[in-house]
Amino acid sequence: MIKRVEINYRGIFQKTLAKRIGSDLVLIAARMGQVAFSNGRYSDSPERNGIPCKYFTFISPDLEEEELEAECGAKMDIDEANISVVLDDTMVKGVEPWGWSGIRPINEKMIEGGAMLVVTRHSAQDLLKFIPARPFSYNLVTLEGDASLAGLWVFKDDLTHERVLGAIAGIDPSIVSIDAVEAHLRAKTKDERRVAAAREAHDAARSHTRVVKSGEGADWHHEVPKLPGWDHFREGTVVPAVPRHFEMGPRGQSRNPTFKRGTTKTQRPVVRFDLCTKCTLCWVECPDQCFDPTDDGYYDIDYEYCVGCGKCAEVCPVEECIIMADELVFDNYDSPWEHWKRDADDYLSWTADKKGNERVSYPFVTGTGRLVTAMDSVPGVGEIKPRKETPQPV
Amino acid sequence: MTSATQQQSDVWERQDLLTGCQAVAEGVRLADVDVIPAYPIRPYTEVMDTISKIIADGRLDAEYMIADSEHSQFEIAKHASAVNARAFTGSSGTGWCYGFEALVVTATDRLPVLFLVGNRALDDPGAFGVEHNDAMSVRDMGFLLNWVTSPQEALEHVLIGYRIAEDSEVRMPMALAMDGAFLTHSQHIVQIPTIESVRRFLPDYDLGDRRLHPDNPISIAPQVNEDWVMEMRRQNWGAARRAREVIVKAYEEFNAVYGPRYQPPYYFTEYMTDDADVVLVGLGTVAAPGRTAVRRLREQGHKVGYVNLRWFRPFPTVELRECLSRFKAVGVIDRDFAHGSPDDGGILLHEIRSCLYPAKNRPAVVNFLSGLGGRDISIQDCEKMFDLTEKAARDETMDGYVTWIGVRAGAGSSNYLAAPAH
Repeated sequence: MIKRVEINYRGIFQKTLAKRIGSDLVLIAARMGQVAFSNGRYSDSPERNGIPCKYFTFISPDLEEEELEAECGAKMDIDEANISVVLDDTMVKGVEPWGWSGIRPINEKMIEGGAMLVVTRHSAQDLLKFIPARPFSYNLVTLEGDASLAGLWVFKDDLTHERVLGAIAGIDPSIVSIDAVEAHLRAKTKDERRVAAAREAHDAARSHTRVVKSGEGADWHHEVPKLPGWDHFREGTVVPAVPRHFEMGPRGQSRNPTFKRGTTKTQRPVVRFDLCTKCTLCWVECPDQCFDPTDDGYYDIDYEYCVGCGKCAEVCPVEECIIMADELVFDNYDSPWEHWKRDADDYLSWTADKKGNERVSYPFVTGTGRLVTAMDSVPGVGEIKPRKETPQPV
Repeated sequence: MTSATQQQSDVWERQDLLTGCQAVAEGVRLADVDVIPAYPIRPYTEVMDTISKIIADGRLDAEYMIADSEHSQFEIAKHASAVNARAFTGSSGTGWCYGFEALVVTATDRLPVLFLVGNRALDDPGAFGVEHNDAMSVRDMGFLLNWVTSPQEALEHVLIGYRIAEDSEVRMPMALAMDGAFLTHSQHIVQIPTIESVRRFLPDYDLGDRRLHPDNPISIAPQVNEDWVMEMRRQNWGAARRAREVIVKAYEEFNAVYGPRYQPPYYFTEYMTDDADVVLVGLGTVAAPGRTAVRRLREQGHKVGYVNLRWFRPFPTVELRECLSRFKAVGVIDRDFAHGSPDDGGILLHEIRSCLYPAKNRPAVVNFLSGLGGRDISIQDCEKMFDLTEKAARDETMDGYVTWIGVRAGAGSSNYLAAPAH
């Protein structure tokens, strides 16, 4: 018997976290007398900021290591997942890995009766608006928390690691038992706080399990790319170019239809066009050329290609003009400029709703430096003020 | 028996969860390597990440130098080795090829640098996956060249590798090859030996009267034009031949310290071959699905076995001929290509057919080009290879036949990562 655990994580920001969870699962399973090993999905390129990636752990109580390796190790992707961990809830919208294989459902590898463990502050019901329906029933387990996004290469050490281990024990004790998790953490860290975090998550996972019925969930409309055989493409390592064109207005620039990268984002920029001074900085500075100039001098955003890097919000000189908001509160990639042109009042109330009135900043590169500040007031229509400095910790 | 068990339990310090690259780094620490030039390229890079951390943690005292390219990297290692410093370096794919000039002279100058080659497909097109052509490029240059199949074996072959490479009868560079991704990046539990046990097994590096030092005034590799080259080639040819005996000796000595971990003939391992009619032969991690396919087919009554070739240079000609001529047919798995070669097959195919030519009983030999560029080779793929090899055992006309396994054909086949229906 083989139990397979996949850990969906955001490239670079959660790489160390995912690897530590995967590695500890092996060590804890070994402590229980099981055979296990782990690896990352090799076709991923987890150095790319935010790119959806996977880490795997394979555990067996009865197979030889070589047989487990043959079944699970000598291949590029996991066959199926008994547990699919999602370290950032915005990945429930779909994941487009760096290796070219299209936008895939987050529960693509889920099996009947398996479990998806999502670190989130949203409810299971909210998540199911995005998670595609499957023709069988499985469990959706929510572990309350923010996506643990650390600085480049850095491990945030905010107990997400220990909590996920505890939650996995809560979901399937045959993979790792909570006793073994606790014994491992105690031996490794001698820190009872970590042991307690795992225990708390173990109990919480059991009480936050939602059975997802067959057919329950969202429609899925992304197709898996079909790759041609050796006898059906040009010789000489030649690939056809993306057709070039440009016109003013939404989606007016040619972009690569086979690698959109929109599932890379955890947040997206929300623009108040009424405050925009047409300074061009967002358009100039966007590393992915996601802004389309419009014939009235504004810059529309193609959210399907935006990776949520936040550069536009960083360079925008106007208070509240571009704000990054949680990707999970949006349900489409529609053009914001078209919305504004269609009904400016409706658009402004939409932006206020999406942005909320809390502004999150990350003043520390490492550690737990998440700073939430309440917004004083919403600027009125056309009320242009220079942007305040990013709040600094006191 | 008691003393052997006692001896074995003394030699292991601890166990840890390590990737293939990390296991090699532990081997480098235990071998007390002196000079380590680094330059990054996936998938071998993690060995250098790990070594730099080991040095920073104070667990190894070594010169760690960041070179400006693979060419400089290999030159630094070569020169360090010439002054009697134990040197370790490595690369992957095109990085390995970029330093090729320096690799060739390291072999010509008979300097026992140990290189890790994390096998990677050669560009173009850009790809990270395993293919053996990178390491194979040094096969004729005077390198020791072998493949390992697990992190444990990788760690142990750093030690065994230096033992062979530095032997006064040999003094050749060694390329320790491991499959990119499937071994370089896969984490397994590894037993780590004590440094005392390693000292018992691995003697200090001593280049003797060839050591480049002011007290020993010599010049290495002057311009010789046509007067000397052929004689030097003859010397190096002899060293490569002598290496075969030293390899056997090294494993025997390793077993003496660590218990019977390796069985004769050491160059390769046989799995369920005793009464086999047909076998597959491969290099590297394909052994796992290959041997698993053997177990499954045996349950259905097929007399099949698997031969994992550990040493490619020097090639174990006599031993492998003796082994393979016992079977009716041999399926050779090549994770490499040799376009336009005699059989239009892979490199290993030609080596094995050549090795079998003088055999009294020549089995039919068929070839599988498989797993190129990191494409996985599944248990089912191996079962298919066994099926074709069994067919070759019945049909003489199939000798030399080459089959592509796992290549996509047709207009719009689905991606091999295809999603299940939703």
